[in-house]
Amino acid sequence: MGFGRYLAYRLFNAALILFFVVLLTSILFVKLADVTLQSQIQETVQAEWNAYAQHHPGSNVNQSEFIKKRMEYWINYYGLNKPYRTRVWQTTIKTLKFDFGQTRQTIFGTRDASEIIKIALPRTILLFTTAQIIVILIGILLGVKSAQKPGSTVDRTISVLAMITASLPMWWFGMVMILIFAFKLSWFPVNSFPDPTLTGLAHIKDVMWRMVLPVITIVTVLFGGWAWTTRNIMIGTMQEDFIMAARAKGVPERKVIYGHALRAAAPPIVTMTIFGLLGSLGGAIITEAVFNWPGMGRLYWIALQQNETTLIVGLTYIFTLLYLTAMILADLAYAFLDPRVKVGASASM
Amino acid sequence: MRWVDLKDSMKSFWNDFRREKSGMFGLLLLILLLFTALSAPFITSPDIPHKWKTYWLENPQNAPPAWINYFSSTKKAPHVIYTYHDLHITESKDQFGNTVYSFEIPYKYQYDEPVDDIVIFKLLSNASSPMDAPHISIALKRPVQNGYSRVVPLLIDEPVSSNATIQLSTNTQVRKNVINWLKQNKVNIEPTLEFQLLATMDTMRYLFSQIQPNIQDMMNKPKPLHGTYILMVNVTSKPGISVNFNNIEIVFKGRTYGIMGTDDRGRDIWIGLIWGSRVSLAIGIAVALLSVLIGIFYGVTSAYLGGWKDEFLQRINEFVASIPTLPILILLGVYFGGHIMLWQLVLLLVAFGWVGISKVARSMALQIKEQTYIEAARALGAGTGRIVFKHMVPQLLPYAFAQIALGVPGAILSEASLSFLGLGDPSQITWGQMLNEAQRAGAAVNGYWWEVIPPGLAITLVGLTFVLIGVALDKVLNPRLRRI
Repeated sequence: MGFGRYLAYRLFNAALILFFVVLLTSILFVKLADVTLQSQIQETVQAEWNAYAQHHPGSNVNQSEFIKKRMEYWINYYGLNKPYRTRVWQTTIKTLKFDFGQTRQTIFGTRDASEIIKIALPRTILLFTTAQIIVILIGILLGVKSAQKPGSTVDRTISVLAMITASLPMWWFGMVMILIFAFKLSWFPVNSFPDPTLTGLAHIKDVMWRMVLPVITIVTVLFGGWAWTTRNIMIGTMQEDFIMAARAKGVPERKVIYGHALRAAAPPIVTMTIFGLLGSLGGAIITEAVFNWPGMGRLYWIALQQNETTLIVGLTYIFTLLYLTAMILADLAYAFLDPRVKVGASASM
Repeated sequence: MRWVDLKDSMKSFWNDFRREKSGMFGLLLLILLLFTALSAPFITSPDIPHKWKTYWLENPQNAPPAWINYFSSTKKAPHVIYTYHDLHITESKDQFGNTVYSFEIPYKYQYDEPVDDIVIFKLLSNASSPMDAPHISIALKRPVQNGYSRVVPLLIDEPVSSNATIQLSTNTQVRKNVINWLKQNKVNIEPTLEFQLLATMDTMRYLFSQIQPNIQDMMNKPKPLHGTYILMVNVTSKPGISVNFNNIEIVFKGRTYGIMGTDDRGRDIWIGLIWGSRVSLAIGIAVALLSVLIGIFYGVTSAYLGGWKDEFLQRINEFVASIPTLPILILLGVYFGGHIMLWQLVLLLVAFGWVGISKVARSMALQIKEQTYIEAARALGAGTGRIVFKHMVPQLLPYAFAQIALGVPGAILSEASLSFLGLGDPSQITWGQMLNEAQRAGAAVNGYWWEVIPPGLAITLVGLTFVLIGVALDKVLNPRLRRI
């Protein structure tokens, strides 16, 4: 199978998954919306009747008839009279078109769920991409270092760090960082929400200042795992024959490691990088909530607390989309860098 | 496999495992954790899960652990409870034929910050109407200052209904009495300030500090008066009304509490930590075990069947693997009415957890499938089920053990994350929920470190335990990794 066909296959697969996730979401939430809408309609109609009775004293309109008429109007307005299947389908199509509907309360100055996500997404990308780049750089550097001398003090320290951080909840570590550096020592602001009165350069400085603590948290929790994985990949590569040959030829050790071994180990590392860059957005949902960083994770938290189902549906959709994009990119990068995978993939088709 | 072979292989496995220092350390931690989880009802009390969601009135709120006094320059009063057995109750009759019960509690005060409150619980009587209610008088005898030892009347002949909670610190009558006593001792109090004090006074601070001529000094720069205080209590009951002291509790609410302090509802964090270990271990082990078992059977079956069946099973696998777990779990949590019950969570985590393992299991099974003995078994007429269960899966068991251990931390983190978001099972005590409540109450921002650090450390510790065991098992059982 050629690269083009492989790409087409992966894209088709991802589109199918996206569709099914959205369908599942719609099935769940059309049902959930029914309950909330029904009670909302009942409240509205009751209020309408009260207002009517107040403004038209002595009117001969029958209460039950009035309520029945208004109920019908609203049920028709919200489309509750359509069959369940139709509404699920409509919701699915709408969601796929990024039309998530309105939230009940204003968030970030608007009630349009897609608009809110559009404001939050760049902020999340800013924070996590910065952090992830630092993690990757430190991780690869330390991983290579410890692979050079397996069993050394550096190597052992990294293994221990990797084991501890793998079991550390990132968001809890964030709480501890706030406790120490924002509360006790007051070195950094407690709240990561940027100051709205600042503009221009002052605003950029303010945002960067508020990013320090979350970035340190993310880097601390993630770099150990990266270093550990890089180390294991590198150790595997270092035992290959061509490294032996390069050394026997008298190639300098630096060049052997960075020129030969690291290049051969590149495919899995690049895959990890792509996954890290796009995929970490989903993994750090709660960390944002802890730091009050106004991105996607914070939105999840707000949506959960205010029970904004439209926003939850929208966020889940965007996360799925990002996640699938990362999967495809990682897959393609892997296939591009390591032709064996492509052959393997086509062989199993 | 014969019994002797099994015993031999177990022995050699144990010999290898024993050499892994980190693995042994993990095993030790695991035994400790299991012990804690199993003995939780015995070292605390079995009604804790029922009691956990209520307010623990008898405890102080947001109190740090008692041992911080060793590290701090200002010593804070610890929590003390007096029960029936600590009291020497004397009974006498007054001239009207009423019964007078009286007792005294000596309290040695040597701290810089006094108790938060003095509370009397469960003073029971059989009075049916408020008219018959026994009357209580409480006074505090202070140690000698400037040659005088002063008695402060706190409550004078106040009617007390059966089982009422008497909180002295916030009681308006007590505040009035204390202000009068201060005035009698020539403390200068302006009328506007007096009005304010009646509403907001931290009564205990005045009772346990030296008298200064200006109230402002006593408010802002209190000097503790050390020595032995005596709390004097008199309960007078009419003839025919009996007072029961058997369950009485007189609590000197500390500014510190126990081993780990309390949270904003006065709950003992240490007890929460102990009980939380049950959910963590149960979820972690259940999820890891089930997902690994399912993953291995799925992968092996897929590899053995081959052809279009393999293709089909692999497409399902890819589909599940492509779904981002946490957002979907959040979504389902909302759908389930804002809470995911423990068993639902286990099922959901298993539903998303088996895919990674099944991929690896399949690739391993593809190699095993080519071995001649599988061919032989097939030639002898063994069915698919028999070959998969009897000949292929056992080959993968070593890998499975390591994967089970390595899968536990992920499940524990997922549960903690969902609980932290407030989607956890409300009928359980979990560390994630403790952190969620701490976050809601602003513990990190207020500096209540004892509400934030211990639950997170506990999560990390359980995770680390299984990572240590898993990595050690991987090294021992997985020959591919031995060379590293």
